[in-house]
Amino acid sequence: MSKPYTLQELLVIAVAKEIHDHENVILGVGLPTTAGALAKALYAPHATLMMESGIIDFEPLLPLNHIADAHSCRGFSYSTDLFSAFTMTYRGFVDVCFLGVGQVDKYGNLNTTCIGDYYKPTMRLPGSGGAADFISYAKRTVLTMLGGNFVEKLDYFTSPGYLDGGNSRDESGLFPKGSGPTMLLSTKGVFRFDPVTKEIYLAQIHPRVKIEDVKKDVPWELKIAPDLSETPHPTDEEIDFIRRFAPAMSAGRELAMELMIANLMKQSKG
Amino acid sequence: MAAENSKVMSVRDAISKFVYDGAELVIGNYTVGSCAELVYEVVRQGRKGLTIYSQSGIFDVEVLVGAGCVARLVSTYVLRAGGKKGGSAVERAMNAGTLEVEDYTNFQYNARLVAGMHGFSYMQVLEGAIATDLFRKRSFLGENKYRIIKCPYTGKDQLTVPAANPDVCIVHVQRADKFGNAQYWGALGSVAAAALASKRIVVSCEEIVEHDVIQSSPHLTIIPAYRVDAVCEVPWGANPTEVLGYYNIDQFMYGLFLMMDGTADGLKAWMDEWVYGCENRAAYIDHYVQKFGSKNLDGIRCKPYYSAPANYGSAFTSRWDKDGRERAIGMTLAEFEQTLKERGKLYE
Repeated sequence: MSKPYTLQELLVIAVAKEIHDHENVILGVGLPTTAGALAKALYAPHATLMMESGIIDFEPLLPLNHIADAHSCRGFSYSTDLFSAFTMTYRGFVDVCFLGVGQVDKYGNLNTTCIGDYYKPTMRLPGSGGAADFISYAKRTVLTMLGGNFVEKLDYFTSPGYLDGGNSRDESGLFPKGSGPTMLLSTKGVFRFDPVTKEIYLAQIHPRVKIEDVKKDVPWELKIAPDLSETPHPTDEEIDFIRRFAPAMSAGRELAMELMIANLMKQSKG
Repeated sequence: MAAENSKVMSVRDAISKFVYDGAELVIGNYTVGSCAELVYEVVRQGRKGLTIYSQSGIFDVEVLVGAGCVARLVSTYVLRAGGKKGGSAVERAMNAGTLEVEDYTNFQYNARLVAGMHGFSYMQVLEGAIATDLFRKRSFLGENKYRIIKCPYTGKDQLTVPAANPDVCIVHVQRADKFGNAQYWGALGSVAAAALASKRIVVSCEEIVEHDVIQSSPHLTIIPAYRVDAVCEVPWGANPTEVLGYYNIDQFMYGLFLMMDGTADGLKAWMDEWVYGCENRAAYIDHYVQKFGSKNLDGIRCKPYYSAPANYGSAFTSRWDKDGRERAIGMTLAEFEQTLKERGKLYE
């Protein structure tokens, strides 16, 4: 048995395994950038990491603050602009991208714009940023949902998943055939999409989570894979990499913030 | 270039001259290197009724909206301080009915500026967004947020956005010369398009350098002098955001801002101290060091990792060799003139 891990470490590893060697990868802010660094170090040394700010083919040395962070690497190989980062995606050069989720529906359509009314929002969320265009044209999209919700109907339709399910995405003629979300990661499990109906289902469950815990977050009768597996225990190598590369990620946002504030207090007294 | 072409001026003069009430103002920077001091000066001068374009309307937009400068916002991404329990100036202003927001994707927003930069009236964007509420829900641009046209070559429907040519761009870069040649490197984002699409351009920079520095590295120049209206030298001009090669993000000051931004009163208190309370960037840095010491700022200064120089040299820079002979015809100037005379080419 390898050494004990944190939930966040388990999540980063699950995301990193979606990156295959030799792929072109668009990384989003937060968990995906640490996953990208892990994949590049352990599973996919020939992957080309990219960000929409035009930073292309970089090796992160520090966890990235955001998608325009050139301070966290020592140079990079190709400096282009945002316009070209999206046209290269449109032309099919991006294998996989990673997006965060505010709300997600049964077919992987996303809302990252608002809760409540669009014009007078209960909660104004960030907006599309690159999301709507990336999920449209990357070959695959991996969704990470740490604080978001499953809903019957999105408050605002920001980014297209499988539209009304079935063949509707392909039949719309708006997207490359076969593109769309392939996986959604939550704090409870890994979800995938049925190849025919395109409905999201639970494919893998994290240790110590019960199926009922997952189901209670989903407002419809969630389908469960007949061969439901448990997310594997991380290896020492994986845990060590994340803990050294991004200790705040290992700790999780709340604990990392608490520790940082405690340290600031200590310093100001010293 | 003649020395009298210098566009160097103070931030106060530049903003007062080029940013006026009701203007369309584009924030040139994208996520990093925000033109913080130029934004603060717009706030200090109390501009009203602005239409703000900002690719990632985070820190800059919160400050401008919080100060009541903004009537309309065109953006792709806004900030929310303090997660679900928190809030933002944008959210508060939308609910108060004082701010209209037009949402685009990153690419669409940038495409509007690229169209404007090149003098086109619209730009094709990626048609997938037709399936979304970005296309269906429109604010002050109404019908003109997007239009669908038929491609004359393929017959397919294409999604388009209208060109944007804002009245003025404010933008921070690493360095510039006094004529306005502005050099920027790192995450290129949409910085060049935002500036070049605009009618007027105000540049702030970490340092003003000799023209020769620019001439030997033209690949770094993203805005040429002839388009620039003002150059302001403002060290630490992007704090609390970062400038590649100069300083990292200031997690301490940014954290302080985020802690206060969640409520209207908090943001006002923060602005009273750090925007209205400091007449310029030098005063802001003085206040910072006085209050918190210099340890934070010293700790985020960048260590050098220089770009390998690109050789812009050539074999020679004169038609005449070291012996004073023309390189192709082998004559001295005197011999050449003698020949011109002998051949009847010279007139008295």
